[in-house]
Amino acid sequence: MSYEFPSDLKYTTSHEWVNLHDSIATVGITDYAQHQLGDIVFVELPTIGMVLEKESNAGEIESVKAVGELLMPLSGEIVEINEQLAESPELVNSSPFGDGWMIKIKISHAIEIDELISVERYKELVKSEEE
Amino acid sequence: MKSEKLNSRKAPLYDVHRKLGARMIEFSGWLMPVQYESIIKEHEAVRSNAGVFDISHMGEFLLKGKDVIPFLQYIMINDLKLLEVSKGQYSCMCYENGTVVDDLFYYEEREDLFRIIVNAGNIEKDFKWLNNHIKDYDVNVQDLSSERSRLAFQGPKTDDLLQPLVDVDLSKINRFYFRHCNLNNMPIFIARTGYTGERGFEISFDKNYSEEIWHNLVNTGASPAGLGARDSLRLEAGYSLYGHEISDKITPIEAGLNWLVKPKEGIEYLGKKVLMKQKSEGTERILVGLNLLGKGIIRENYKIFKNGNEIGYVTSGGFSPTLKKTIGLGLVKKQYKEVGTELEIEIRGKFLKGIIVSMPFYRNV
Repeated sequence: MSYEFPSDLKYTTSHEWVNLHDSIATVGITDYAQHQLGDIVFVELPTIGMVLEKESNAGEIESVKAVGELLMPLSGEIVEINEQLAESPELVNSSPFGDGWMIKIKISHAIEIDELISVERYKELVKSEEE
Repeated sequence: MKSEKLNSRKAPLYDVHRKLGARMIEFSGWLMPVQYESIIKEHEAVRSNAGVFDISHMGEFLLKGKDVIPFLQYIMINDLKLLEVSKGQYSCMCYENGTVVDDLFYYEEREDLFRIIVNAGNIEKDFKWLNNHIKDYDVNVQDLSSERSRLAFQGPKTDDLLQPLVDVDLSKINRFYFRHCNLNNMPIFIARTGYTGERGFEISFDKNYSEEIWHNLVNTGASPAGLGARDSLRLEAGYSLYGHEISDKITPIEAGLNWLVKPKEGIEYLGKKVLMKQKSEGTERILVGLNLLGKGIIRENYKIFKNGNEIGYVTSGGFSPTLKKTIGLGLVKKQYKEVGTELEIEIRGKFLKGIIVSMPFYRNV
């Protein structure tokens, strides 16, 4: 099975991707993660203004057969959520790194960025999970 | 990624499914395809065109002997007086307390020869059940499950797609009836039955023809469809699934299958006393259809509440691609069964507002 692994992003061991721009992090789940979940039918996201810690629950992603959790890759305040997902949750399947983005965080602890993993390490993680 | 259980059996079409990129799961001791590309796409293909399902994991028995009909009248809750040669009938076999051993279909080949199709998870149990009750009936049960393969061909276009391949006039086969005929010179048993709420057929044949018949059907333009779509389709159609809406803890009356429990005057059958009483007096709990008033997904085993009191639980739930929202079936206390009753469904610690709706959610047969 071949998945997309954009090299300009950072990743987490829980299958989120992070796109950093100044102090705003755009977050979604990876192509591997959407494939594992199957057809996504409902995405529940936090409300704007919520302040959440790294690794805490930032939403639920329901597919036909499973429920996945979105975890905060970094601590901070939710400044934007992808409203399109309310009407079109399938965007997470068709465009996990693009229109399927989920939340934008104003990060509070820049030092946490060092704990995100590189695309190479994430590829290895996926490979070992598939075996 | 879950690794496959090495002691699960592989259906004859296992390699075909793998080649198509199917995600396989273990189901009742068999490795079966849950989806090829997308459960929703496969579901929609069946509703708009046609889908092919591998149902070879199900069981198939032949019952032979001069006492087959009286034997089945004793074992089954439905009435074989409504049957005739070349017709099939849906039924349950019940325990004396009215709960269900299995739900199944039987087909009258001849007065002394019946074909029975049973659920994959109950093959051994059903075989034993039938044999344990033969006693003095002149009946013999033969298990053909591993010698034959079965496919379901379901969707609004199936008559047109299948006709060129078979040597029988499909328009002459009415619902629930069956024939023996040839599909591209391969002998098949074909019944106009199904579990999707669409027009279609279920066929069985010698397992050596498995790959060829599969490819013949898919080449008509029908989509391979897995167990995931099979479940979302039957849920929309409001059909029971053994272990969920009916089981050895749930009676057919509780599951809303009152029509299945027949009076059969002068005939004793297993479960008759309890079931006829339930049919006339009702039951403490009853199966209902469920929707949520907001967003979310109803899933099996979620608890159902009314004004803070637990009144039941979800037996099956999921997403309906046709209605584009969540649907579910649940058992609730009888006083809450009216359509339009508002209730709460507990979803991962949160109580979401739901409502009882009429069933089925969709049907096109």
